[in-house]
Amino acid sequence: MKRIEVKLSLPVVAPLLDVIRELADGLGRKLAAPQEFGDLDPEFRDAWHGDLLADQKADVGQLLALFDDEFFTEGIVAFDEDNAEPIVRACAAVRLRLREVFLRGLGDDTLEGGDVELGDLSEPVRKAFTCYLFLATVQELIIQHLDSSIIDS
Amino acid sequence: MIRAGPKTSPASETLAHTELELSGRWRVVVLNDPVNLMSYVMLVFKKIFGFNETTARRHMLQVHEQGRSVVWTGLREKAEAYVFTLQQWHLTAVLESDETH
Repeated sequence: MKRIEVKLSLPVVAPLLDVIRELADGLGRKLAAPQEFGDLDPEFRDAWHGDLLADQKADVGQLLALFDDEFFTEGIVAFDEDNAEPIVRACAAVRLRLREVFLRGLGDDTLEGGDVELGDLSEPVRKAFTCYLFLATVQELIIQHLDSSIIDS
Repeated sequence: MIRAGPKTSPASETLAHTELELSGRWRVVVLNDPVNLMSYVMLVFKKIFGFNETTARRHMLQVHEQGRSVVWTGLREKAEAYVFTLQQWHLTAVLESDETH
């Protein structure tokens, strides 16, 4: 099984986990990306929405599970063929929620370009934006090393 | 199950319309968002639709530059399944009737 281990800086990443955990609660109740359900039958729409929410919650659980005892002792997280897919999706969900909750003020063009002066941001927004970038890096790492595992699974 | 009613009733017209909608062709459309990475969107397209690198990139760039891309067209049931899967991956996806057919 293909597996990659990444050594992270504990002092940098540990504080970001508070942000992710805070948002994880909300992601158990609300979809990260607002979706239109069009003309679906209400009962079918509710089931559809419920299934999306359950999947989202499970994915975010997998992301949080990365930061276990090994992470807090060694600073190491591991990605493999089993967790790559849910984690890359969970990162997308948390990033969407970060934008919704903390980063609206930056504007979409700035967010898309990533050209932000961290020193100009308030503490909560700076922390949220750092978390946003961290999760993008996790996604890039997984896509770079495990994309074939995800596509073929 | 759809029940047949009198030919002239509004209910039967609605049912006929619904049958047509269900049997017609539908588009799966992905809309732009400022959050998801280009590489992530390409990965999702390759995974869900089996696109090769070139096709995935073309659709991703359409989404990015034009705000939307029609990624699949066909029968409603399958289109719904694709929209659901795209939404599982947190892309903004909608179902549209393909009025060109």
